[in-house]
Amino acid sequence: MPESCEVTVTVTLAGDLHARPAGSLAVAAAAFESAVELTVGASRADARSVLAVMGLGATSGQQVTVRAAGPDAEKAVNTMIDILAEATRVGG
Amino acid sequence: MSDEAKVGIVLVSHSAALAEGTAELAGQIGGGTVAIATAGGTDDGRIGTSIAKVQRALALADAGAGVVILPDLGSSVLTVRALLAESEDLPEPIAVADAPFVEGAVAATVTAAAGGDVKAVLSAAEEARHARKL
Repeated sequence: MPESCEVTVTVTLAGDLHARPAGSLAVAAAAFESAVELTVGASRADARSVLAVMGLGATSGQQVTVRAAGPDAEKAVNTMIDILAEATRVGG
Repeated sequence: MSDEAKVGIVLVSHSAALAEGTAELAGQIGGGTVAIATAGGTDDGRIGTSIAKVQRALALADAGAGVVILPDLGSSVLTVRALLAESEDLPEPIAVADAPFVEGAVAATVTAAAGGDVKAVLSAAEEARHARKL
């Protein structure tokens, strides 16, 4: 791994992004050194802010872009993608 | 980070139901790892606030990393201020958030769950004022 890198991955949501998964994303994002950002359409949110993540209003079928920049960017993005996949499958 | 004590949250409301419901919601969104204590209503169960209830809630919420208090409206703030001014037995550090009640409680709880200190939890609660929900 380079000292610092930037990773961007886009996924399509299988379900709506509810309040509980937004909380899981925010708690998980805070554990990384990298800055993590979620983008849905024209809206962007700092993944550490649960209210900003909920404010994205992301629904089933929408594309979410996860972008992380920092020393643990790849791990951060993978963690976010896993939570998004799991949460939107089960529902919140 | 997760092995250390987490900042506790105290919700002070005129209504016991409002305080408890908000605690339940924030606890669910935050993943259930943060101590959230409530002080809702008067000592005899009416709408109002109680210094004794706030004092008990502070003791329940304090896990050693300090406590952030969220008052709902008006005299909740006065009751909290009166307690902070007169009591010598308070969690340390302690802070009162100037924040919307529900959004502030959720943001504060999530930040506490992530291992944030009192300053970070307070900021998260107060930034909730600027969060758009639409």
